Amino acid sequence: MDNYNSLIIKTLFIIIPIIFLSCEKEITVDLPEPEQRLVVEGWIEQGDYATVILTKNMPYFGKTDSTTLVQMINFPATVTLSNGEISETLIKTLNFDYFPPIIYRGTIIKGEIGKTYYLTINSEGKQLTASTTIPPPVKFDSLRFLLDKNSDSLGTIWAKFTDNPSEKNYYRIFSKRLNRDKKMIPILGSVYDDIFFNGLSLSFNIYRGYDTFTDIDGINNDKEFSKYRLGDTVVIKLCTLDKEHFDFWYTVEYEVYYGENPFVNPIPIKSNIKGGGLGIWGGYGANYDTLILK
Amino acid sequence: MKKLTPFIFLFVISIQNLFSQNKYTISGYVRDAATGENLIGANVYVKNSTKGATTNHYGFYSLTLTEGIYNIAASFIGYTEEIKQINLNKNIIINFSLNEKPITVKEVTVTGEKSDANIKSTEVGKFEIPIEKVKIMPAFMGEVDIFKTIQLTPGIQSSGEGNSVFYVRGGGPDQNLILLDEAVVYNASHLFGFFSIFNADAIKNIELTKGSMPANYGGRLASVLDISMKEGNNKNYQVDGGIGLISSRLTIQGPIKKDTSSFIISARRTYADIIMKPFVKKTSPFKNSGYYFYDLNAKVNYIINDKDRIYLSGYFGRDIFGLNVDSGSFKNNISWGNATSTLRWNHLFNNKLFMNTTLLYSDYNFTFTATQQQYDFSLTSGVTDYECKSDFSYHPSSLHNIKFGSDYIYHIFAPNSFTAKTGDVNLDLGEKIKLYSHNLALYINDEIELTSRLKLNTGIRYTLFQQIGPFKRFIQDAAYNIIDSIIYKKGENIKTYSNIEPRISARFFIDTSSSVKIAYTHNYQYIHLASISNVNLPTDIWVPSSSVIKPQFGIQYSLGYYKNFYNNYYETSIEIYYKQLKNQIEFREGVTPEQSIHNNIDNNFTFGKGESYGVEIFIQKKEGKINGWIGYTLSWTTRQFSEINNGKKFYAKYDRRHDISYVTNFQLNKQWIFSIIWVYATGNAMTIPISRYFIEGNIINEYGEKNAYRMKPYHRLDLGVTYYFKKKKNFESNINFSVYNAYNRYNPYYIYFETKGNINEYYLETKAKQVSLFPMLPSITWNFKF
Repeated sequence: MDNYNSLIIKTLFIIIPIIFLSCEKEITVDLPEPEQRLVVEGWIEQGDYATVILTKNMPYFGKTDSTTLVQMINFPATVTLSNGEISETLIKTLNFDYFPPIIYRGTIIKGEIGKTYYLTINSEGKQLTASTTIPPPVKFDSLRFLLDKNSDSLGTIWAKFTDNPSEKNYYRIFSKRLNRDKKMIPILGSVYDDIFFNGLSLSFNIYRGYDTFTDIDGINNDKEFSKYRLGDTVVIKLCTLDKEHFDFWYTVEYEVYYGENPFVNPIPIKSNIKGGGLGIWGGYGANYDTLILK
Repeated sequence: MKKLTPFIFLFVISIQNLFSQNKYTISGYVRDAATGENLIGANVYVKNSTKGATTNHYGFYSLTLTEGIYNIAASFIGYTEEIKQINLNKNIIINFSLNEKPITVKEVTVTGEKSDANIKSTEVGKFEIPIEKVKIMPAFMGEVDIFKTIQLTPGIQSSGEGNSVFYVRGGGPDQNLILLDEAVVYNASHLFGFFSIFNADAIKNIELTKGSMPANYGGRLASVLDISMKEGNNKNYQVDGGIGLISSRLTIQGPIKKDTSSFIISARRTYADIIMKPFVKKTSPFKNSGYYFYDLNAKVNYIINDKDRIYLSGYFGRDIFGLNVDSGSFKNNISWGNATSTLRWNHLFNNKLFMNTTLLYSDYNFTFTATQQQYDFSLTSGVTDYECKSDFSYHPSSLHNIKFGSDYIYHIFAPNSFTAKTGDVNLDLGEKIKLYSHNLALYINDEIELTSRLKLNTGIRYTLFQQIGPFKRFIQDAAYNIIDSIIYKKGENIKTYSNIEPRISARFFIDTSSSVKIAYTHNYQYIHLASISNVNLPTDIWVPSSSVIKPQFGIQYSLGYYKNFYNNYYETSIEIYYKQLKNQIEFREGVTPEQSIHNNIDNNFTFGKGESYGVEIFIQKKEGKINGWIGYTLSWTTRQFSEINNGKKFYAKYDRRHDISYVTNFQLNKQWIFSIIWVYATGNAMTIPISRYFIEGNIINEYGEKNAYRMKPYHRLDLGVTYYFKKKKNFESNINFSVYNAYNRYNPYYIYFETKGNINEYYLETKAKQVSLFPMLPSITWNFKF
């Protein structure tokens, strides 16, 4: 629900340069070499094995090309998952649906609702640990395609949802267009805290997200940016998360959307990785809906 | 022995009577002969002696001397001195009507004493800016601005390009008390801070005190900017105005009853929205957007009799911004403004005791509304004050100048009220929260002439702040989760703070042209401005002290040396200061606006302390064909919060190592005045990222130490030329041509980092980009008066 944040900030970011004659130029900023840190992006969903992506941080201004990327992702590490009873070592595999394409995948332990999962990573003398839970999943009341007023093919998905008043809930929403997207992509403004609609039934628009915001040209050239197309089949995934998991994605999205905005003070990312690492290990309670947009 | 005592007593008394001479009081008003306006801070003194007095904010003076024959002179900068010879053998009233000095062509030779107030005054760090000087400064977008002029004095720093919010000696913008005819102004900026709300045509006097304020002022830590409106010409009707490219203004004043009652009305509006429309492309998504501001000052006064006078004044101003993105998907309106009204009564009890009692109302309000498709959102924030104050000035002898009084304010704060709707459902954003408090101050201050060289200005201010209900307090645990709440009834006392603020300063004459001053003051501040971003925006919120927010506290030490040359032609000074600040307020790291919903906003703050110190050097030539000043400030300002920057000390965003201002006006002849301003400031501090990493295909920044990076230095040259047309009958006009940023320097406004590329293609590059706001900006304004 950072919609109104986006409204305030979008306004301010747009108007100042527009109203005034502003000029821009490139400058050089000298930065020291940063301390190297291990970055974890890991998740586990009910009914599925764990997935963990490991990378390292990079100096801010360095050019990132295939050589630097190799240094960032190609290093030895042991990733261990435990559910409190048994543990397994995740296996390093190649999967080009993800960036970077090297992932660690479980083969034994599948996520179960209500359980806690512990992750341990050992790499180059460092050890990181984290834990997370999988809350029970919930469903949308209904989903339908809503054509935009001034378009005959593009629109948003109109979702109806009722929040459970007796519990504290956090949500995250993804969507994937069949045959067009490689994997589930978070929608624009994907994280929600039920503090604003606890117990209420509400309706809202789902705006399609983009797989990477670094592809500025791609975004500018995408005529369907934030929209869904009539005729497509879309899978919507509604997830529940625990507080620590929510805090991470909330602060990450804040950084992704407003990090380059000088009117907004940077906020620290709330990582749940212990031991000097960055990133997240999170559990999702997932519910899938498939919708043909007509 | 018993029988003798009464005789001894009588004898002693009669001897005393023989030796003591009678003292009598001269009192009255100093006014402008042409308009009847009271002159504030005019000198009334005995020629060839150090005995004298200055007029107060209402033009009143009182001088007690021993019997005798004296030449009493009244002088005020820009006016011809008037001298009256009197034989003082009873209390008398002498009113002075001074005439404006004609514009001189050649260097003025020394005739009469120039004002040496900067050496004599016991107030350290005080700066008076004659409004006429403000008017000939180069204009920014066609408007001369009081705040821009103030930022040219040492110790006062602007907060950035085009901003009119200012910082005094390392203090935040909320630490400046801005008064317009005694009413507090909470947000004195138009257009996100690019202009101030003060229309120079309606203003009579501007007085700035940097810290070390005497006991009659309080409530803020860093400075007092006391602005007085004109009363209105009570002899003749007068119209002043100006037409410019971006805005226009008009002032009408005149007598309601000649010499007894007058009015003044002043209005100003920008029409940037109308002008911009033809330039914004029809295809631009922003074609239905616009911005404008307007303000209105009005005042009426009535002299009831020679002991009583009443004034009623008001200010109303508003900024309105509307953004309408063409596809209709995004609409936004932002508006904010102040409204103040003041009713004052001057009463002269006798020729030594003057009183001013004021009733005030002040309201500041900010509203933000936005619509995006089915989603509607609004945010409002504001403060309303009801105030009653009484200020007395008592002049028992020429050795004492006593001020005492009281100030009571009833505050109603509404820091942030949200409403939001998606589709037809109103989201639950909590009740509209209002915070109520009482704020009382009592003070007494005396300026004592201890010896002919040493004058002391000492006082005490007692302040009391009380938060009262109705109020709902949410209680947090250590992880900032809400676990409980307490409800307070209407009027119920929630928290009380009371403090004593000693103020002391002293001036010691080394000789007739130089002095040393020292000051030591304690100040408490009960209201605070919380900023969401590093850039000053109207989204900053005012909050009162509470059981969670303790009052801000500041101690300032200052020492200065003042020397005038060539019979007060040149004023120079060097001042050093050291400030300690406690209970400074910031939002906790990572707090976003939603965390104030279903919660108390003060649960999201964290508290720390600050320190600031520096040296200010100043050289000024006040009169003559060429006049102006140079100021240089070298200063440091740091903050330390246990919950910010890992508890390490960091530079405040107001930290500015070097600050230079150079101002020169050159009066060529009766037709032409040229003015030059050059400013230099060390770059602003900011927090920048030091490394980055990937999450879900996006780049996440890892940030370094808070405010560890400096933008490039800021410097700028402004040029202005004003041509005065020949005065016809009763019509005067001039045309001002100004160039802002004459050598077109790209001063940094902010820096952002742009990442281009596509990770899917394994290529990414980040560049640092600097955005500058104003290139060279010329402007033309035609000003008239009749």
